Amino acid sequence: MDPSPNSPTGRDVTPDTGGPEPPRAAPPGAAPPTAASAPLPVTAPAHVHRLGRLPLDRRTAAVAMSAVAVLLVVGIAWAGTGYHYDPYIEKPAAVTGNVPTTDRELKQFAARLDRRSRELTAKLKATAPRGVYIVIDQTQNRIYLKRDEETLLDARCSAGSGLVLKETGGKNRQWVFDTPRGRFDVLTLLRNPVWAKPDWAFVEDGQPIPKNPADRLESGTLGEYALYFGDGFMIHGTLYERLLGRAVSHGCIRVGRDDLRKVWANARIGMRIYIY
Amino acid sequence: MRHRRALVVTALLLAGAIALGLVAAGCGTEKAAAPAADVHSQIARLQRSTNLLQRQIDLANGKDFYLVLDPAAGDITLMLMGAELQRYQVLGLQVGQPRVAWMTRPDPRAWQDIVWAHGELDPPRQIDRFVMQAAPPTKEGTEATPPVPPTPEEMYPVPSRYHVRFDDGLSIEIRPLDTDTEAGRFARLRAWFTAKWHDAKDAAFDRERDAVRLRIALNPKDAASLYRSLPPAVRLLILSGDQKTAPAVAPKPAEAGKPQAKSAGAPIPKN
Repeated sequence: MDPSPNSPTGRDVTPDTGGPEPPRAAPPGAAPPTAASAPLPVTAPAHVHRLGRLPLDRRTAAVAMSAVAVLLVVGIAWAGTGYHYDPYIEKPAAVTGNVPTTDRELKQFAARLDRRSRELTAKLKATAPRGVYIVIDQTQNRIYLKRDEETLLDARCSAGSGLVLKETGGKNRQWVFDTPRGRFDVLTLLRNPVWAKPDWAFVEDGQPIPKNPADRLESGTLGEYALYFGDGFMIHGTLYERLLGRAVSHGCIRVGRDDLRKVWANARIGMRIYIY
Repeated sequence: MRHRRALVVTALLLAGAIALGLVAAGCGTEKAAAPAADVHSQIARLQRSTNLLQRQIDLANGKDFYLVLDPAAGDITLMLMGAELQRYQVLGLQVGQPRVAWMTRPDPRAWQDIVWAHGELDPPRQIDRFVMQAAPPTKEGTEATPPVPPTPEEMYPVPSRYHVRFDDGLSIEIRPLDTDTEAGRFARLRAWFTAKWHDAKDAAFDRERDAVRLRIALNPKDAASLYRSLPPAVRLLILSGDQKTAPAVAPKPAEAGKPQAKSAGAPIPKN
């Protein structure tokens, strides 16, 4: 945009059409532009603003501003989306059902409710185990001996490994070594127990399953004592005390020698065992 | 004239007597109303108490594991058939409701005085079973030695916070207190953002999930223990403060080194 000699101001004023300026043709016979006569750098038209080094026209600016505004609104909304926490407050008790209207009847009704409440309390207490009971946390491999709110013993044990054993050949059987969850009762108390090895013990050892039941018997493996609680499950001692605290058993609960003695000292037939 | 004066005096005396009577009657009504209100509140408390006792008996007679949250005593107890299996001290208890764009969405469903059912861990505890193919039997025997399993701590990593989700959009969020302060700044920021993202997603797009959420703060050891050993399909009952009798449950003295129990409604610090 060289200054025009015809312009009274010495500047070429052209109406702004809003579009890009068309390139001008060089006059005939004019020499090609040299470095000295090279056109000056093109300045931005009046409608283009500079934002730092980035030329930004009005439309782009409006879009950008809108995007920023939308993002801001979404951000504020997102910040206020989630969960609002209040301190726990118990809802006030309200009378439910039909209640008598006269004073005398009201008092009688309250007395009846009070009596019922006492009966239920006694009934609830009766559901709690009496005396010493055993609690086994099978995922964390802990055994507890409890009496009411008192914990008499808190020790490591080994619960079922959860391993799946598949038989090769034969009947192609499969065993899952899990410890069952729930409430059980001690059915038998065994001193110096002898283990009658089940089929899986032979399959695991890669041995043929004996036909003579006497060949299944093995002493010393279960430690000094065993508390049998049904379905082949026992609380017993172990030869592998170094593995206590890890789930390595075939479903029984293995306990260390000293802890087993404490359990045995409190054990009785019908004693409750809770496994979770 | 004299007769007229006597009539006025009599009328005044009569009016005074009526006024006194009315005042006395008014006082008597107030005195009678107060005991009636007392009896009503007593009945309400007894009704709730018997209702909760009945629910506890029902839970104790069932075969499912259940949690009993006692906000007044500040503990949560894992139970089975009336026996206390494990008790955890509650360090903070809050009630959360979904909020979308700063608008809280209160939920009308009942969640106190009812049994929450089918609680499952989220994220669930992963159980990787090792499958061992036995060797064919030989006379000498080939003992297959399974690998020594990891410890429970190695086997079940505990997330920084986790949920137990029950039926009907009820859930509890277990938050170990003070673990966040041990983590690095970036880890805390990441944990905060992840939690915020999930909360926002649940609140905005899933009306049925976590319609009511109880946030329970436990000490880190208890939170980890609960995560590792919570049985499946657990149930939950929240006791009321006016229930004086709980089943063989009494608050334990705080162990040495353990933080003291705060009030049930104590705020939980944010990370």
